[in-house]
This record gives sequence, structure tokens and C-alpha cells, in this order.
Amino acid sequence: MKQSEFDVIVVGSGITGGWAAKEFCEKGFNTLVIERGRNVEHRGPEYTDMLAPWQIENRDLIPESFSEEGRYPHILGKGYLRNSTKQFFTDEKEHPISYPEDKPFMWVRGYQLGGRSLTWGRQVLRWSKKDFESNAKDGHGVPWPIGYDDLAPWYDYVESFIGVSANKDGLDAVPDGVFQKPWEMSAPEKHIASNLAKHYDDRRLIVGRAANLTEPTQEQLELGRGPCQARSYCKKGCSFGGYFSSLSATLPAAKRTGKLTLVTDSIVATVDYDEQSGKASGVTVIDAHTKEKRSYKARVVFLCASALGSIQILLNSKSKSFPNGIANSSGTVGRYIMDHYTGVIADGEVPGFEDKYNYGRRPIATYIPNYRHEQHPGTDFIRGYGYQATATQRKNTGTTAKRVGIGAEVKAQARQPAPWRFLALMYGEMLPYYDNVASLHPTKTDQWGIPLLHIDATIKENERKQIRQATKDIKEMLEIGGCTDINLRVVPETEHIKIGDRIHEMGGACMGDDPNTSVLNKWAQAHDVQNLFVTDGACMSSCATQNPSLTYMAITARSANYAAKLLESGEL
Amino acid sequence: MKDLKITRRVFLGGLGASAIVVTAPVLASVVNADTGIQQVTKAGQFFTANELTVLVDVAEIMIPRTDTPGATDVHVMPVLDAMMLTWAGDSTKSQFKALVQQIEQLAKNSFEQEYIQLDQASRNLLISELDKRAFANTKTDLSENYREFKELVFHIYYTSEEANPDYKVIPGGYRGDITKLELIEINKRGYL
Ligand SMILES: Cc1cc2nc3c(=O)[nH]c(=O)nc-3n(C[C@H](O)[C@H](O)[C@H](O)COP(=O)(O)OP(=O)(O)OC[C@H]3O[C@@H](n4cnc5c(N)ncnc54)[C@H](O)[C@@H]3O)c2cc1C
Repeated sequence: MKQSEFDVIVVGSGITGGWAAKEFCEKGFNTLVIERGRNVEHRGPEYTDMLAPWQIENRDLIPESFSEEGRYPHILGKGYLRNSTKQFFTDEKEHPISYPEDKPFMWVRGYQLGGRSLTWGRQVLRWSKKDFESNAKDGHGVPWPIGYDDLAPWYDYVESFIGVSANKDGLDAVPDGVFQKPWEMSAPEKHIASNLAKHYDDRRLIVGRAANLTEPTQEQLELGRGPCQARSYCKKGCSFGGYFSSLSATLPAAKRTGKLTLVTDSIVATVDYDEQSGKASGVTVIDAHTKEKRSYKARVVFLCASALGSIQILLNSKSKSFPNGIANSSGTVGRYIMDHYTGVIADGEVPGFEDKYNYGRRPIATYIPNYRHEQHPGTDFIRGYGYQATATQRKNTGTTAKRVGIGAEVKAQARQPAPWRFLALMYGEMLPYYDNVASLHPTKTDQWGIPLLHIDATIKENERKQIRQATKDIKEMLEIGGCTDINLRVVPETEHIKIGDRIHEMGGACMGDDPNTSVLNKWAQAHDVQNLFVTDGACMSSCATQNPSLTYMAITARSANYAAKLLESGEL
Repeated sequence: MKDLKITRRVFLGGLGASAIVVTAPVLASVVNADTGIQQVTKAGQFFTANELTVLVDVAEIMIPRTDTPGATDVHVMPVLDAMMLTWAGDSTKSQFKALVQQIEQLAKNSFEQEYIQLDQASRNLLISELDKRAFANTKTDLSENYREFKELVFHIYYTSEEANPDYKVIPGGYRGDITKLELIEINKRGYL
């Protein structure tokens, strides 16, 4: 076995791994980033963003052979999986997971350098004070060991670096931060926002907060990033560096320090534990191609392999002291799996804007933040939901291929501007349930011999109640907003909602003060193994309603800063 | 316009077995002066010349040239022909081949003529009728083949450069509250 030594090993190069790498490299530590996927060059041949729609192979349709061969079984047909983006999504057929037959689970991954930072939706919302207090307040899950105030300076720090275009809305539910110029709302969105503000004290429609640059700072320009061009091609990669990704921002920042070593195509199978020192000694990887094993040593290990990726590594890292997986003396590694979920989708026409049009493609939607942290009279559930919503584009009546009709008239009709429509998707807070659990499959393994993750997770009665109320609420809000022809698509009461579908999977190595009930302390440092940190979504003790990646980044930067101090002081 | 003799039976079945004799293309591309049909003379990567002749014509009937380009102008069929190798699965491949045969058979059953011998009005009528039936009775092979083909023709047409003269690969910014006049001005300028 070959061995190499570093100050810090960071597992994963996605949103959180990129941050850990940047922080440690900038502080002068020799840092090894280990990525299981292939190398991807920023502005390299895999980016398809400079192609016009008519230049994209197969006019952006996914080859039909994919469905014939059962590839991408869960995400085939999703809007984000196109011919021009498919290289950045992992084929679940090649990388299977396991779940109970009646409770399918989705794990949308991006096994490549940069991870899902290449394909994410870039909606960046701070969590509120109340979000961090919820577990303690209602007794679900593990009480958070940190609060909003602990993270606030780190939110500032992260936002300043990544660049967030947003409006200062002055709302407690999504605190304001360090923002660049916001995106404009469309005329109908402004109308709905103003109607809601007139009618409700607690409900607002705000323009989304995007990790897309509108006023790049000197630091961002120096990293080769420029303003977003409103193409909405983000999932194809961005040659302008207009949106935040590991490839456009954190990894270049880490590289320029000269302290970064990057290995790709190397799957971390285990964190290795040294029984004598009681610390992690490093990691063992399996070469993705040759399947050869090798080990790397370091003083500190940061797991940033995404929530489920890190859980898989923890559970697979068995030793005499940790027969059920490293840092698992509490037995809670893999427990409290959460995701947001969509129980209702509503859309409606917004009349009165026949003479209003849009130009360009705004790279972010609008948002209705959670207004139900407290129970309202007449409701019998806890916690709440927000809505991702949008009316960015005025469409044409469009093609009629799916309807009867051909010829000149139909063609002329297709070019007519259609009425504006507004769309809203509920994003509900799923409670942290102890029995929503990810474990290692007892017999099935992947092609590298690593046990498959078996994920058994579902929403329960509290979430069903949320859906019922969210359906009433959104109908009312669309009416008050001024919409007509309102359609509601509600998930039937008995239908399983695939957890993971919102791609905000969290939990599994929750933070908490009590080592008996949680895996990580307030620094996202393992209670059991002091030089092991898990700073991706696994560390989240509740899931709130906001898109979580900004919070992962803030936690990662904060933890890296803390670990750096311990390294400097010689404690680690 | 000729009487339409398309029967229910024609649309509901019995078309599977009839084979089309494919003749090798020997002539350069010509437009038949009588029928207006554009006779394709060179086989594509997937479709034969005869198949292309029929499908090019059907696509043009679906999306004819008007004050804006038609399906032929934007090369819908050459694009689709290439996509048959890079995109289409086995079932689509056989569906589109079968569709040509089915259209040929329809022409014979309805007009007692080869499709390519029909005049423009008859071809328009035949395909319009096929379009209606394909949505009224969705379960037949013919309906399914036709609808799938129509979807591709529309998709390729509406993602073409010619069908999107104002599309900007790099808009440079977003405005969500502008009038038509303002939009026209911006599009004319080419930037915000
Ligand atoms: C379509 C889409 C839209 C989204 N929209 C939003 C949004 O608007 N806002 C938001 O906040 N979030 C959004 N997300 C979620 C967001 O992408 C994730 O929360 C975020 O990327 C998580 O960061 P991470 O570093 O934990 O994981 P990732 O970015 O997934 O990176 C993990 C990395 O670890 C690597 N890895 C995994 N296992 C191993 C191993 N064993 N060894 C070595 N390397 C390993 C992976 O290959 C990957 O590169 C979206 C995601 C998608 C796909």
C-alpha cells in the first residue's frame, strides 16, 4: 500500500468540500481533496453552455436507449436531466442504492469534480433563529447545539465570497445578508407580491436569492468570474463563472495557494481509525478504475461527500472500537434522514398583463418563505412550509404536437404570446424521525465491494397535515394574488412521496450537545473522534424549509476555522 | 378537392404486413411539377430516399412555409434522420419506418394511388385527417406512430434557429416588466 501524509484530508469536492479545501489551503495547511468522480475542467469540453439550442446534440433530448437500458431509473424525465447536462448527473443504474420496495428513495448525485455544485439551483436562503430552535421547542430530533447567531458571521463570510444577488427583504424567516443587486421580478410577480403584502401580515413573495453574480467583487473577478448573463444555462456549466461552483470559485481559490493536492477517480471506502491515539489516521480509497486500494494519512479528516455519501463512509469504517461504524457510539449514524418534500403544486393564470413581456432568462425563481413556525388557530401540525414559485417567462402558446392540429393556422397560433402563468411548489419541513434511517445493506455491494446504502425513509402524519393546509393556503394566496384558472396538483394521501426528490437530503450524523444521542458536536466534530468532522448535509439536526446549501457552507467554513485553530495549537 | 375515402378500417388496423418496395435512388433531387412533392433521391443515414420523400412532405404539411420558414426550410428531416442514429431507440426506429408504410397504405386505400403521386390537396387532406384520427383514437399503432413522429417534427422545428429569430444565447440580463415595443427595441439592438 502506498501512503502519503497531509495536514488535512477533505473527502469530496462539491459545495462543502470545495469550501473546506479553500479554507484550509488559505490558512496554509497542506490539503488533500479526494474525489470519487472524474476530473472536470472549468470551461472544459464537458461544459455545453456556449451551444445554442439548435447546436445541442439530439436537440437536447436524452437518447431513448437510456430508457430501454434502464439507465437513470429515478431521474429520467426530470427537467434537469437533458442531453446537455447528463454528464453531470450520476446514473443510478451504475451506482445503485437499496430501499424498501414500497418506499422508493431518490439519491440524485453528481460524481465528478465539483459534485452537485455544477448543477444546483443556486437558491441561497439563510435559516432563521426559529429554524435552529425548532427541535428543542417541539422535542423532535436532537436539539441543535448552535443557533442563528453562531452562524450569522459565517453566512456573511460565505455570501461575500460566493456572491448572492438578492433583495434585502427584512424578513425574520429568511434573514438578510451580504447581497449584490437583486434580480427583477416580472410584472405579474410584482403584482402578486404586492397583493399578498396588502392582505397578509406574515406572507411575502420575494425574488429568489441566487448564487449568481450581478455585481462581481474584485475577489470574484480575480478568480476569473464575471457577471451572470441571464442565460439560465447553469446546469451546463458556466464559462463566465457567473454562478458559484467549486470549479469556478472555491477550488481555484484553493489551488492558487499552492497548498492543494487533488486526486480524482478515488473512492473513499473508509476513514481509518488508530486505536492507540483514538484518532482518525486518514482514509483508504479504492481506485475507481483499477480498484486498487491505497491509504492517505492526515491530522484531520473532513467528510464532505454529501449527506448520504458521508454516512456511507462512516458506517463502512468499522474497527474494534467502532464495530458499527466510526463515530457511532451513539448508534445514531444514519438516523434522522430528512429532505424537503412537495405535497402540492399550484399554478394559475395572471390576467391583466397582456402588454407585459420579459427579456432574458432570470436564473432564479421567486419564493414565499415559511410563515408557519408557530401553530395557527385551526391547525394541528408543527413546523411549516414555504413555496418555490415563479412567473419569470411569458411563453408563447407554443407548439401543438400533443394536441390535434397541423398546418399554417396552427403554426401561426403557436407564435402568439400566451397569458402569464404563476407556478408554486410547496417545500415542506419534514420532521427528523429516528426511524427514517440509512444503513448498509447486509449483502449487496457496489462494483467496488462497498456495501450499498439502504435507505428507509418516509413522511408521516405531520407532513400529511401540512400538505392539507398548504393546499388550502396556496389556493387562497393565488386567489388573493390575482390569479385565475387555478390548478392544484395534490399528492394523494396514500401516495408515497419519494424522499430525496427535492435533492436536499440531510441528517444521518446530526449535531447535538449530547454524545449519547448525536454524532457531532457544535463544531460538526465527531464526539467520538476529535479529528474527524462531517460538515455536509449529514450534520443537520433539522431540515427547516429553506434550500440548505448556504447553511452547509457556513457550517463548513466555521468548522474549518475551528479545526485550523486546533491544528495550529497542536491539539490535533 | 377529391372525396375523402378514408375509412375507419384503414385507421384501425390491418396495416402491419404490407411491405414497401424500396427503389434505389438514381436521380438527383427533383420537385415533381404536378404534385409539388420534393422527391428525395439520396438515402439518408437511416431513412431511405423514398421514406425521406414521404416524411419530408408530411413534415412540411404539418409545418408549412408561410411568412416564416417551414419544416423543409429548417431541415427537420435531415436532423431527424441523423437523430435516428444518435437518439432513437429500437422502438422509435421501427415506428417511424412503419409510419411510412402506413401512410403509403392509407394513400392507396383512400385514393388508390401512391402517396407521392397524390396532388398537394389530397396529401394535405390525408395528413389532416390522420392528425385528427390520431388524437381521437389514440390506441392504434398508426396513431401512436404518427403522434410520436409529429412530436419530433415539432420539437426539431421549434428548437431550430430559424424558428427562434429572437432567441439570444447570451441575453446579458433580465427584464421582467417591459412592453412589447420595448422588447422589440431590445431584440433589434441585440442587447439590453
Ligand atoms: C438539480 C439540483 C438543484 C439544486 N438546487 C439547490 C438550490 O437551489 N439550493 C440549494 O441550497 N441546494 C440545491 N441543491 C442541492 C445542492 O446541490 C447540495 O445541497 C450540495 O451540492 C451539497 O453539497 P455537498 O458538498 O454536501 O455535496 P455534493 O455537492 O454532492 O458533493 C459531494 C462530492 O463528494 C463526492 N463523493 C461522494 N462520495 C465519495 C467518496 N466515497 N469518496 C470520494 N468522493 C466522494 C461526490 O462525487 C461529490 O463530488 C440542488 C441540487 C440539484 C442536483
